[in-house]
Amino acid sequence: MGLLALGTALDWPEAKTKAHHVRAWGIKQLLEIWNKAKVKERDAMLWGDEVEYLVVTYSKDDPKVLLSLRQADILAALAGDKDLAKEVTPPASPGGTKPKDKYPSPVFHPEFGRFMLEATPGKPWGIDFKELLHVEPDMKLRRAIAKDHMLPNEYPITLTTFPRIGSPGVFTEPHYPVSGPKLRSQFVPDEIANPHIRFPTLAANIRSRRGRKVQVNVPVFRDENTPWPWKDPTVNYDLHNWPEDDDVRNGAAPDNFIHMDAMAFGMGSCCLQITFQAKNITEGRKMYDQLSPLGPILLALTAATPIYKGFLADTDVRWNQISKAVDDRTAEELGEKPLQNDRWRIPKSRYASNSTYISEDPRLREEYLDPNLVIDPEIKQQLLDGGMDDRLATHFAHLFIRDPIVIFNEDLEVLDLSKTDHFENIQSTNWQHMRFKPPPADNNIGWRVEFRPMEIQITDFENAAFSVFMVLITRVILSFDLNFYIPITKVDENMETAHKRDAVLQEKFWFRRNLFSSRPSRGSGSGTNTPRSGGGGSRANSRPPSPVGPVEDEYKLMTVNEVINGDEEGEFPGLIPLVESYLDSVNVDVATRCQLARYLDLIRKRANGELWTAARWIREFVKGHEGYRKDSVVSEEVNKDLVGKVIEIGEREARGEGFKGLGRGVEKLLGGF
Amino acid sequence: MRFLKLFYLLLADTGQSIWLFLTGRKKQLGGKRTMAKLILSTGNIVSGGPSIIRKPGAYRSNLELTNSLRSNFLAAQEDYATAAADDEAQDGKLHANGGVENGAAKSNGNALHVNTETGGRPPVSVWTAEEDGALYVPRIDWSEAGLQEEPLQYSITVKLFFLPSASVERRAQFAKKALDLVLKELDAPAIDLLIVSFPGMSFEGDCEWEADRHNAVQGNDEEELATWAAIEDLHRAGLAKSIGLAEFGSEKLARFLQRVQVRPSVNQINIKNCCNVPPPLTKLAKEEGIELLAHSDCIDILPEGTLRELLGQGLGGAGILADPETGAGGLKGDLAPQWVAKYTAVVRDRGVIENKGYFAGAELTEG
Repeated sequence: MGLLALGTALDWPEAKTKAHHVRAWGIKQLLEIWNKAKVKERDAMLWGDEVEYLVVTYSKDDPKVLLSLRQADILAALAGDKDLAKEVTPPASPGGTKPKDKYPSPVFHPEFGRFMLEATPGKPWGIDFKELLHVEPDMKLRRAIAKDHMLPNEYPITLTTFPRIGSPGVFTEPHYPVSGPKLRSQFVPDEIANPHIRFPTLAANIRSRRGRKVQVNVPVFRDENTPWPWKDPTVNYDLHNWPEDDDVRNGAAPDNFIHMDAMAFGMGSCCLQITFQAKNITEGRKMYDQLSPLGPILLALTAATPIYKGFLADTDVRWNQISKAVDDRTAEELGEKPLQNDRWRIPKSRYASNSTYISEDPRLREEYLDPNLVIDPEIKQQLLDGGMDDRLATHFAHLFIRDPIVIFNEDLEVLDLSKTDHFENIQSTNWQHMRFKPPPADNNIGWRVEFRPMEIQITDFENAAFSVFMVLITRVILSFDLNFYIPITKVDENMETAHKRDAVLQEKFWFRRNLFSSRPSRGSGSGTNTPRSGGGGSRANSRPPSPVGPVEDEYKLMTVNEVINGDEEGEFPGLIPLVESYLDSVNVDVATRCQLARYLDLIRKRANGELWTAARWIREFVKGHEGYRKDSVVSEEVNKDLVGKVIEIGEREARGEGFKGLGRGVEKLLGGF
Repeated sequence: MRFLKLFYLLLADTGQSIWLFLTGRKKQLGGKRTMAKLILSTGNIVSGGPSIIRKPGAYRSNLELTNSLRSNFLAAQEDYATAAADDEAQDGKLHANGGVENGAAKSNGNALHVNTETGGRPPVSVWTAEEDGALYVPRIDWSEAGLQEEPLQYSITVKLFFLPSASVERRAQFAKKALDLVLKELDAPAIDLLIVSFPGMSFEGDCEWEADRHNAVQGNDEEELATWAAIEDLHRAGLAKSIGLAEFGSEKLARFLQRVQVRPSVNQINIKNCCNVPPPLTKLAKEEGIELLAHSDCIDILPEGTLRELLGQGLGGAGILADPETGAGGLKGDLAPQWVAKYTAVVRDRGVIENKGYFAGAELTEG
């Protein structure tokens, strides 16, 4: 979440009338930044990770484990801690190296859920390999600092979702009644959301724009004793507080689905997001495109979300639930009614997989793009008139089909071109699995790309492993000039596939067969090489594929294991062997190399099934629990023991004692690490 | 006949003829022992496609080297043959010029011609070049040399392997040649790190202590120290900002340090799966401020048999060497690989490998 502005947030009917105003100013601000920053060159590779936590209350004697809504108090305690104000002494990394000096304290941020915290490193990471080893201790430090500023019975845990959020009865501390005016949810109270005006307004305006509550329906996992057809027993059909209470009577809660009705069910999920700075806009656009097809693979590989609202789901990841939880599309935009008041049908939620590629890479074939992409033609024209190229203009004209949701009246008085607030209003409420981030208005940082699909992992070891892996993948892509392009609609399809139960082992994903570019030809006498031109054109530059065959021949279905570890025939190299080739080609000290090998080993084993994803571990935990009745229900008792085990794993990790002997299948999750 | 025209065109174009040079020199030297120097190169392999891939189970760099040499030879054969054909098509006049036929016919007796027609390869002269008394396989277009940004933006590392079959006395000369080639290829005034790898040393054993113990008696201290003096000179001349070793265990390194003038700043060791560095080595390196770097290179990076195959007449060979069994022509004599230089240029603050490749030096001697 970005900075939180203060002011008078407009309710939807009024905000709607100002939407065009915000878009128009947003485009002006975008053109301003773009013009200023398009010539930015040679920015260093800097990157940052974001870890999100749930805060739970837990004690051995208390039969209940609850979500703590003390976010504001915890953040205030953190902000008020003078010792933390500036710098901390960093702990040694697993490789034994230690940053020379104190460094800036981690930074804690509020999130949508009032039971959530987000923490980022105090300064961005570089690409020095030794520095990559500081990520894991820094993550542990963040968790320790967070814990130190909580009550003794509160714990920051990194489960993607709280298994019993929205279950009947008490699941928050303190407890509040449901059915408040903002969310109008029959499952969660308004107090579940961060009270800053931005968040309740966001939730209320999404609901209001949509004309009904959001419908987050997740297929239930059918176990031996699960009644079938299954009717969500927690749905209350007799509530009459709000007009939206009719939703369930009008079929919002179909059979065999866990039904949820509020933004908190989605935006209350914890993710692991990584942002990379590119050397210039060209490299940023290339990274955006090349990382895009990796999104579904990493989503399946990090799967950690098998439970919703106290029931085992038939899906393993959070993505679509967040998508539905913030889906503000009207019935017309959804195609349920003929278009009368709205401008277009929109096939995806604002939270969804990417719909565009944005690079001017000659390897990007027209066939990879979505011919049915919805864009705002007027906005595109304004961007083209402002000098932007067609492909980037198309991308932003696609993002700008959306309305701004939260508008502060004060911001509409004067257009300030030294700010980017209106642009960010649209940009930051387009939650796609990649985000292309222009430099901020003061231009002091570069073009960035955010990789957003990964699910948060239970331990910091795993979170560091996936973060570092993604960093290395970006270096591999740029060094070896890899080409991951497949049609963008196949990426969508993969994103759906990634949701399936145990997709990491059971499903196949569309992936490009040949990642390598054709070699540069020489001796042609054309003399095209221009070393040191700065713009990036030498022998290592991207080249168009030749000869060009049918697009369908360029990709095939592969398992996650094949993508990550390579196929048995040796035709597809695999991402980890590519990372190893990269590491073999750079100077890395022995201790660092061994730690990096540990991270790669985790990912290798998750992909080949030797180790379980968190989703599978949680499933097996529930199924193996003596209190589970094979009816898909995750009872308070099971929930408590599950969260208790997660806390125990975290305490083990904090003490640096490894994960052996924890029982309950933890060895299948974390092996010998 | 088409080949002859191409060949002539190439001579006319570059003003040099390897084959005339080589055969001419042989004639001059008569019955004496003759030599031909070979400089092999891979070009930039990070942009060259799959030879960079590390195959499971066979990931050591000798495979990377031989694969990338082979694919670079093949690529050069294709590229230069195409370029020559293009030139030919552009200049119809030469087709009718009898002088061309005659000029080319002079070398018609050259075995390489036969080789081309039988092996389906373009003539060696098209894709190799003679420069400074050495045959470049393939030829290098130095006008394409250089990095995208100023050299200071890069961390440039060269690892120089002295091969077992080469003369110890000439190592200084090899080192200078290898470094010159890399600097020319990258168009840089100096490199950041020069690592030398001596033959006969390894760092392998069932346990780390054992590896360290074995290592203590490997190699040849006196020869290595003598070579190191030449490496120190390159450092003093400003060509290599720092210098380092490979595969030195604790005992060997301790002995070495007592007798050198310029201390190595790194010691590169081969860690396999275990990641267990012998504690004495860790301790020594820490005390002496020597960084232990990891590598996965093969010690015997370019055996003679492998090189002979690469350059030979067989399937996948480059068709440079004569084959007495089939009677295919080409260079004759004993082939001795002398050194291999692996170089990498990494953009410092972005961790992007922009250029990686190999040069290798070899010699052919005929009694």
